[in-house]
Amino acid sequence: MLFNSAVFFQFFAAVLLLAWLMRGHRTACNWLIVVASYLFYGWWDWRFLGLLLFSSLLDFGLGLGLARCQKPAGRKALLATSLICNLGILGLFKYHDFFAESLAAVLNRLGVAVHYSTLGLVLPVGISFYTFQSMSYTFDVYRGTMVPTRSLVHFLAFVSFFPQLVAGPIERAAHLLPQFAQTRRITVAMLEEGVWLLIWGLFKKVVLADNLAPLVDLVYGGTEYQGPAVVLGTIAFGLQIYCDFSGYSDMARGAARLLGFDIMWNFRLPYTATNLRDFWRRWHISLSTWLRDYLYISLGGNRRGPARTYLNLWLTMLLGGLWHGAAWNFVLWGAWHGLGLMVHRLLSSLGLTQAPPAHGMAARGSKLARAAAWLGTMLCVFYGWLLFRARSLDQIVCMTAALTDWTAPVWLGSYAINLVVLAMPLVLMQWWQHRTGDLLAPLRLRRWAVGLLEGLLVVAILLFWEKASVPFIYFQF
Amino acid sequence: MQSHCYEFGLREPIRVLAVPVAVVAGFAAAMHASAWFGWLPAPWPALDVDRTVLVHQAHAARSRQDATVLLLGDSSCLMDVCARTLSRAFGQPTLNLGTLSYVDLDTQALLLRSYLHANPGQVHTVVLLLHPETMRLAPVDSWQSRALRAMLEDRDYWPGDTTFDRLARLLGLDRVHNRLLARWLPRPLPGAWGRRYGFTAQLHHYLTAHRGSAVDPETKPASGRPEYRLAPELRRAAGQFRHVIPAQTRLVAGITPLPEGFAGVGYPQRYQSMLADWGAWLQADAVLTNLPATLPDHWFAQKTHLNQAGQRAYTHMLAAALRGTLSN
Repeated sequence: MLFNSAVFFQFFAAVLLLAWLMRGHRTACNWLIVVASYLFYGWWDWRFLGLLLFSSLLDFGLGLGLARCQKPAGRKALLATSLICNLGILGLFKYHDFFAESLAAVLNRLGVAVHYSTLGLVLPVGISFYTFQSMSYTFDVYRGTMVPTRSLVHFLAFVSFFPQLVAGPIERAAHLLPQFAQTRRITVAMLEEGVWLLIWGLFKKVVLADNLAPLVDLVYGGTEYQGPAVVLGTIAFGLQIYCDFSGYSDMARGAARLLGFDIMWNFRLPYTATNLRDFWRRWHISLSTWLRDYLYISLGGNRRGPARTYLNLWLTMLLGGLWHGAAWNFVLWGAWHGLGLMVHRLLSSLGLTQAPPAHGMAARGSKLARAAAWLGTMLCVFYGWLLFRARSLDQIVCMTAALTDWTAPVWLGSYAINLVVLAMPLVLMQWWQHRTGDLLAPLRLRRWAVGLLEGLLVVAILLFWEKASVPFIYFQF
Repeated sequence: MQSHCYEFGLREPIRVLAVPVAVVAGFAAAMHASAWFGWLPAPWPALDVDRTVLVHQAHAARSRQDATVLLLGDSSCLMDVCARTLSRAFGQPTLNLGTLSYVDLDTQALLLRSYLHANPGQVHTVVLLLHPETMRLAPVDSWQSRALRAMLEDRDYWPGDTTFDRLARLLGLDRVHNRLLARWLPRPLPGAWGRRYGFTAQLHHYLTAHRGSAVDPETKPASGRPEYRLAPELRRAAGQFRHVIPAQTRLVAGITPLPEGFAGVGYPQRYQSMLADWGAWLQADAVLTNLPATLPDHWFAQKTHLNQAGQRAYTHMLAAALRGTLSN
């Protein structure tokens, strides 16, 4: 079920009504969330509900096992079971064909004739998200940072919680799981926030992302490229993927708020970042913190000397790239960001990323330095989007080479008009949020002004609503 | 145990939702009122490839033009003949009002009537070119036909009859798309159309620069079975079409070509007999029997449309055929 479909809003209205009727019965209400979440997921393909249930039961059982087992070897074995099973499922569905094809290609190049067969399995929607969410619970219990739950319904609801099931945020058990065991208080502020985030998230998806998509396709769907088109097409893609994914995350948070839950912010104005490290603190926060806590730190983090720290940083980003999909361009994208983070770390260690003091002439310099840092970061991030969006390595090479050809296609003017019109609402909103330091800045207006803004956004959503809902980009990951 | 509690009553959700709902209702009322009082510009729904072609041809048919030779027909007429080249080769200003295969002959007649009304006494030849596929299927009352009729009458038209389409009309969203957004914000075209033309605005400019002709940028292999015949429904429509032609204007009928490899060996005979019947149904003043029934496969973008090289060659063939036919 897609958030940007009429059926989701009917489903969600029914869930809200049933939740209101069951508000006096916590267990019943938690079961309602489980059933609703499985219905939400099964709407796409009921056959994959088994995987979701298996993953949940496995980590629930392993959590209980970890609570009983005191021997380090036994605890390690239980953790390994979780990793092998979860990553095994992920590997089978997501990476098997990619690695089989890549290995065969390498061996064939080396003169070893290899015949292989791909499985051609359908990738279950959201598998990377719920697998990571479920695994993080076992990690936390293993590390002793949380007490395992003894309630199956709480755990099933935690793994399958429908607002964030298929495209995150990847919640931590320590944050979300206890909320199923509490009496949640739904305030007027939560109601207002929920409604605002649902509308603003849907606007970003339906109006901005879905109308940026054909602009991106126009450039990336071609076989001949010119510099200005590559630049505008890549900017369009950077905005599209942000609006698409952050729109989903906002709607997820909004839906959760209306049910009385708090889920994390997944984006904090990433395009205002002034270095790559800052960018990754603002972009897909739930994944970047997951990678930091469970991968980077497990690899040794920065505890094993500078060389190992750089390697760990790079490997973490490389695997983060691979998490997005089984294709070499995602690996390259991860490697690119890993390299960028290494360079930033090196410059920081040399004291070259410090801004000058912010007073007098130095303040002016500081502004300039910040602008230059922002520009450099954005160049790095947006070139990364080129790597991410390209369909093949050949296309990456051709598009990169085209950056030296500054002849403009005849339609460049129309392209620029569309891009400016679509970027404007986002830029204005981000500027407002950045200036106030408040992601919910519009809600600080008077009630009628908020309503007016919401009404205008709803008009725009209705105006651009596609009859056939366009799936979210991150569903494929 | 309590699951959750609400720290507000029913009035709060109503209060939160009332203003946005009022804004949507106010917007709908404003759009309908603006259209009613004529405050909005006339419809110009160039929202995709089909509607950009229809908007261009409807606009061309309703404005002052210099053309004395008019090309009418389906998309094979639109894309197999370059009216600009034909004007030079034939020595007569020519305008291509070819549309789409889904547009029925009755609506083509309305398009012609609009041109004759806007440019009285000017046209001496109308060339009607249809593809065998259109003649076999004889479309009736498609959304493209309805859209073209609406454009010729300055009415809004919104295809589709789903709940959402009805809601769009109720809220006046069709008016915003047709009258404002399509005018001010060019839409990117999909696939090969996008790569060739870019946006709706560039396709419109191309059509104007080429006197109503376009080139099909998509290459698709020919498929299906070429068992062509004239659909009986065309007989009535042909008679109606004939009535629109003024007394001093000649009606010339032709059938556009098929790819050689697809048509099969017996097709040229079938083509001649279809052409003879078609000329008779239309009571045409001349029939283009000296045009080829088939052309080499490499001149086709798909079975119904020539590519740019094919268009160039066929346009010169048509110019020669018209010279031969009209000099008799």
